[in-house]
Order: sequence, then C-alpha cells, then structure tokens
Amino acid sequence: MEEMLEPNEMIIHLGPQHPMQPGPFRLNLKLKGETVMDAEVELGYIHKGIEKILENKTYLQGITIVDRICYLVALTNEECYVGCVEKLLDIEPPERAQYIRVILEELTRLQSHLLGTGEFGGFIGFVSMLMYTIKEREDLLSLIDMVTGARITHSFLRFGGVRDDLPPGFKEKTLPVLNNLKKVINDFEEMFHSDRVYKERTVGVGVLTADVAKSLGVSGPALRATGVPFDIRKNEPYLVYNDLDFKVCTETAGDCFARVQVRLNEMRESIYIIEQCLDQIPNGPIFPENSLYGRRTPVMRVPAGEVFHRVEDPRGEMGMYMVSDGSDKPYRVKVRGPVYPTLQALPPLIKGTTVADIAAISGSMDGCTSEADR
Amino acid sequence: MDVTEILKSLTGTFPEAISEATAKSEIRARAYVDKEKVKEVCQYLKDSLQFDHLCSVCGVDYIKWNELEVVYHIASYNHPVVLTLKARLPRDNPEIESVVPVYWNANWYERETYELYGIKFKNHPNLKPLLLPEDMLGEWPLRKDYEGFPNKTARNLV
Amino acid sequence: MDIPEFIIPLIPWIRGIVGLSLVGVIFLGAMGAVWLERKLSADIQCRMGPCRVGKYGLLQLVADAIKLFTKEDLKPRNADSLLFNSANIFMIGSVFLMLVAIPVGAVFINGVEYPLAVTQMDISVLYIEAVSALSIFGIFMIAYGSNNKYSLLGAFRNFARMVGYEVPLGLTVVSVAIMTGSLSIVEISSSQGMLWNIFLQPLGCFVFFVALMADMGRLPFDQNESEEELVAGWITEYGGMRFGLAFFAEYIHMILGSFLVALLFLGGWNVPGFVANNSVLGLIAPTVFLLIKVVFVLMVIIGLRWAVPRFRIDQVVDLSWKKLLPLALLNLVWAVGLGLYLGA
Repeated sequence: MEEMLEPNEMIIHLGPQHPMQPGPFRLNLKLKGETVMDAEVELGYIHKGIEKILENKTYLQGITIVDRICYLVALTNEECYVGCVEKLLDIEPPERAQYIRVILEELTRLQSHLLGTGEFGGFIGFVSMLMYTIKEREDLLSLIDMVTGARITHSFLRFGGVRDDLPPGFKEKTLPVLNNLKKVINDFEEMFHSDRVYKERTVGVGVLTADVAKSLGVSGPALRATGVPFDIRKNEPYLVYNDLDFKVCTETAGDCFARVQVRLNEMRESIYIIEQCLDQIPNGPIFPENSLYGRRTPVMRVPAGEVFHRVEDPRGEMGMYMVSDGSDKPYRVKVRGPVYPTLQALPPLIKGTTVADIAAISGSMDGCTSEADR
Repeated sequence: MDVTEILKSLTGTFPEAISEATAKSEIRARAYVDKEKVKEVCQYLKDSLQFDHLCSVCGVDYIKWNELEVVYHIASYNHPVVLTLKARLPRDNPEIESVVPVYWNANWYERETYELYGIKFKNHPNLKPLLLPEDMLGEWPLRKDYEGFPNKTARNLV
Repeated sequence: MDIPEFIIPLIPWIRGIVGLSLVGVIFLGAMGAVWLERKLSADIQCRMGPCRVGKYGLLQLVADAIKLFTKEDLKPRNADSLLFNSANIFMIGSVFLMLVAIPVGAVFINGVEYPLAVTQMDISVLYIEAVSALSIFGIFMIAYGSNNKYSLLGAFRNFARMVGYEVPLGLTVVSVAIMTGSLSIVEISSSQGMLWNIFLQPLGCFVFFVALMADMGRLPFDQNESEEELVAGWITEYGGMRFGLAFFAEYIHMILGSFLVALLFLGGWNVPGFVANNSVLGLIAPTVFLLIKVVFVLMVIIGLRWAVPRFRIDQVVDLSWKKLLPLALLNLVWAVGLGLYLGA
C-alpha cells in the first residue's frame, strides 16, 4: 500500500491507541482528501495464545481461561466450551440447569447489545447515548452478579450443570428491571427515529447486501440486518431453545440504521425469552444424579474424539472445535469467534467512504479485538 | 438436505479424493480429503450442495504419526449440517492449495494457520503473519515440539 | 467632576489596573461557563459532574488550571517553531479584540443611558465580524505547524466549515443593521425597546444562531476536533497550558457569541420605562437583565451539544451553502422591506 502514492494522497494510521476503537488494532488507511482509497487491518496487539494455553490446562481449569476470550460475553464463551466437553462426555445437564443457563445467556446478550448501541452512539458524537446505556446496564450486571458472584468473568458453568442455584428472590428482582428496560428500549427507538442528524449519519451508510454479506462470512446482527434469517438458536437449537417461543429479527436495508434496529428488536426478544424461562423453570437438581463429573471433580478424563459445537453469541456465530485424546487435558481447541470475520470484512466496507463514516460503520458492526486476537 | 444424501453425493462425485466419510449425527459429518483436491471439493460443495458458509480453517498437529492436518468446517445458511473436511499433510513439507478463491473469508484463517503451524497455502493472495510479531515467523508456536521464544523455556506437558 | 491634582499622572496606571482586572473577570466568566457546561452535561446524562473540589465543584476549574500549568510543554521535533509557538496569540488575541467592542451592560443615571463598553464605535458590528474571523488563522497555524496528519485533516474540515458559515452570519447581521439603520451595536440594542428583534426577524435569529454555532465550532459542528475520529483533531499536539489557552479562548468565544445573540435579537438591556427612571434599579436592572438573557442562550448552546450526534463534514458544507444561504438571503429581503415600512 505504500507504493505509488499520488500527489493528493496520504497514508494515515488509525493506530493501536485511538479513542474510537473497541480494542487495539491498527487500521492503515490511504486517504485522498477525506475519501478512503484503500484500507488494511493489522491485528495481534493483544494476542494471548489462548489456544496453546488451553492445551496445557485441565478441562476444569480451562473454564476460567475461556471466560477471558471476550470478557463482555463471558457466559456465551463458557457455554460453547462446556457444550463441547458435554458432547464428548455424552451427558446432558438437567432441565433446571439448562433454564438457568438460558436466563444468564440472555441477560448477557441484553447487556452486550446495550453496550454496543451505546458505543455506537459515542462513535458518531452522541456521547449522552453512551451514558444512558451504561446506566441501564448497571441493573443487569447486578442481576448477573447476584447469581454468579461476579460482574464480568464468571466461571459459573460446569460440565453437566451450573455451579450454584438461583438465589431466592431472583424472579422478584428481575421482573421490575425487565419492565423498566422495555420502556427504555422504546425511548431509544423513538430517539433514533426522530433525530434528523442521526438519520443522516446512519441511513445509507455502510450498506451490505445479502449476497455480499454471505460471501464475506459475516454473521449475527450484521447479517440479519440484510434480510438473511440465520440464527443458531433456531437452526440447531441447543439447551431449551426448542421449547421457547421467540422470533428471529431481520431488517432489509443492511445499513447502520438497520443493524442498530436489529439489536434493539433482539433486546425485546431476549426480555420475552427471560420472562418465559422464569415462568417455566422447573424445580429439580442442577447436576445429573450419580454423575461422575460433579462440580468437585477437578481431574477427569474425557474419552477420545472430536466435536464442533456452535452457539449464538450476541455478535454472531461462535464455534469451538475440540480434539481430545483421552487424557485430562484437551489435545487441540480451536476458538472460532464471531468478530474475526467481521473485522476481516471491514476493509471492503469502508473503501470509498469518508473518514467520518469509518467510525459509524465499525461501531455498528460491534467489534471486540480481544476476541479476534485471542 | 439430509446428511446421508450429502455424503452419498459427495462420495459419488469424488470417489478417490474423499475417504472415510461418516455421519456422526443428523447435523454433523466428517470426511478425509486428499490434499490435492481440496479446492475442487470446496467448489462442488459451494455450488451444488448449498454449503456457502466457511466456519473456520484450522490446523492440528499429530506428532505421533508425523502428520499435520488442516481441518475445514463448512456449514450452510440454509440447512443445519456442518461438514468437517480434514486433509493430511506430511510434517516436513506441509503445502496445500488455498481455498480463498472459493470462500472469501478463508483469507485470515489461512494466514493464522500458516504462522502458527508452518503450513504453506499455495496461491494465497497475501500470506503474511497476522497475529504474531514479525520476528516469530518460523517458530510455529502451536506445534507440539515448540520450545519457546526467544528462550527455549516452554514445554508441552502432554 | 473635579479630579484632584495628584491623580492625573496616575490615570494611565489606573486604566491599566482596570483593564487587567477586566481580563481577570473575563477569565472568571470563562471558568463559570465551563463549570456550567460540566454540570449541565452531567444533568443531561444522569450523572453528577464535578462535586468534590469546592462546594458544587466550583473550584474544579482551578484544579484543572493548576494541572495544565504544571504539565510538560512538548513540541514535536519536526513542527514549525514559529507557527507552533505563536498560534495561541492569534486565538486569544482575536477573542480579546472582540471583547473591546461588546457592551456588557448599561446603567441608567437620571434616565440617561450609559452603556458599559470599553469603546463605542460607529461600526462596531462590522468590527466584531471582521475580528472574529482572525481565530481561523490561529487554528490553521496550530494544525499546519504540528506536522501531524490528524491535525491536517482537522484543518481541512475547519476551512470548509468556516468559509461556508461566515456568509450567512454576515448576512443576518447586516439585515438587522439595515432594519435599525445603524452599524453600532449599542444603537441596535437600545433601539429595540420592548419589541425585540426576534419577533421582527425570527428567520434571521434562527439563521444567526445556527451560523454562530458553526462558527464557534460547537457540536453538532465540531468535526475538526471530533475525538472519535481524529484523536482531538487540530489540537492533537498541544498539551499543557497551550491547550488550556485554546480551551479558554473557545469558551470566551462562546460567551461573546451569547452576548451577540442577546444584544442583537433578544432586546439587550432594555427595561421598561419605570425601571429606567428609578435611581436604584436603574443602576442594576439593565445589566442583570442582559446577563440573564446571556445565561439562557448559553444554556441552550451547551444543552444542544449533548443532545444530538455530530454531522459529517460534507453534510455541514451542504447545509451551509444549500440551506442556510438561501434562508439568509430571504431574511435580507424581508429586513429591507420591514426597514422601509418601519421607516416610512
């Protein structure tokens, strides 16, 4: 990219430290005036080597490590890992544990979408939006804190169940929070629809069509905003999603406005799912009876085999490929995060737009460098 | 599409390239593919069997059998089957054809596999290290006999 | 008045001291504006704002000023020394030059009006317009002399914005001057009486307000310093007290802009007749009225910053040339007609 610079062009690095980024990565831009002619993404600033670390830790120790792939959606990462191991062990958690997992993961989805919407507002200059969403997010984090004991990295799921039961009074504390959140989402939607400046910044910006999105490998709200109803919770249901009634939210425009709208609708669906779970949750054990792999068993051997398990992360489709050779540590764990193809799709999306649009586009795609770098 | 139909159609079209095709469950299937024919198999999957979503490309090091393996997970936006294709490569000179012309998002996956395992992807548009710093090229950290960089203090405990 | 003999050689010193204290008062006013912004923005965003340093956080700015004074003064190696070091002079200088012509209040002694301004010129409105355009030199000197690509992008955006918005600004001011028949800001303000110009020229007030926000570089028009894209834009390389001076210059510009709106459109310091003839109220009331109007306009400007996202630069230029300029011309025609009608 450095060769053949015309007289009007310059190369600028939206470098590793930048107020706009959701994590350190370098974006090399070739600008002509304000228009982007070429772009390139360089990763690797926070590469921790998680896949190599997981090969040297037992399966139980791996739960705390998998938490930290992306600390904002820790429970979904844990679900993917624990689901892989449960498939290898061929056990299934009891119903109450599955309902608890679904409740916590939908709460995680709610707070991740809130933060994503708020950050997007912050990127286009609407700083008050960031403050409002963070304020709402505090209630959700207190709820998760009440169950798991931590606000971000939880280490709550175990093979075959969860670590602890729901505390007494959880339902009474959750329902007012969810009702308040419904009003807040309506407020946000009205704010977005009636704000002329916001619409000028987001409608028609960063348009993805369905074919382009499929060939770029994008998944999650960015794909659903182009009209493709691809949701792992419906395609290959895991846990109790088969018994729950919810719909896949899609829009057709494919621009930044549609992506934010899809997130707001998904938040409403998540609230509905949590309410159903709180109604339908049965009483029962949170670990299978006579299970060898109880929560107090630190050393356990997993039979040899390989498995590929997918879950629906708030940002898209998350998958883990695990190879086991019969010992107490995994042989190979490959983490396929949802943000990796999203970041890869950024250069084709921003070619031809202005510098100001980069902020809007990358904010609406909701990236997280920690997950891409692992 | 049923998983048995998919496997039958695949083994029917490529009798020599595909071996050991098994269906693990209703939505998971696995097959070993010859390393010369990977690109054609992927093209056939994308065109005829509606497998238009590449989940990931990764490498596994089987040091006991002196082999490296490249594992492709290919899924679809229309049906829930995920097909796992595995290609065996010799450990001293691992080279395989790149599938970037078929699936655009294989670009970064192959770059990462190259810098972590040393598997060269022929005809890749831009085979440079992605995550590791430039001076770690040649170390192949995720192999089982990796000893540490720059001091050889790491050992694989398994 | 009889001046005692010994004071006459001391008069230049007295004038110097009064001038310096006026500078101090202006900085105090800027500090008040910053405090108002921080508290108002905290209210809008459901948080508390400065609350620890001094009662209600009033001394927060003193703490910030101490911090800025004690920072290291960095200059990039390849930066142009002349431009880099002298840019602040232009920015503060233009603001202070604007200050001399703007009256900050009035006193009524025996029914005669004495406006409190440093100088009263016949063409003060023209002078204020001309001098406010000097600050663009300062901004461009900083941006170009920093040897930084982010600042350069900020400077390009600045130029596009300033060029587009000076024209509607000047046109609306000229419309008010035509209707009143004079270019002196004191006369425009006092000739409004109780019928404020905003009722006679609502379109003009709206266009002037928007063009003023763009001129001052406040959100939604602050593309040149948009933190999210350009890492503080034109002022990326400035640290310590250099940044502090530019920051204060921006807030003083904001206060002066509010004064302009209050004087030109909101009736200035005009009070009903019975107040003017009262000896005690006549001394305090006009200034207090003017200050209340100024604070109100200031709060609108501050609140607007936190309520809307930011425009893109091409949308800003589009707005100025395609939408504001025709409205300003329309307002000019209306003002000419109104002036003839009122004059006749």
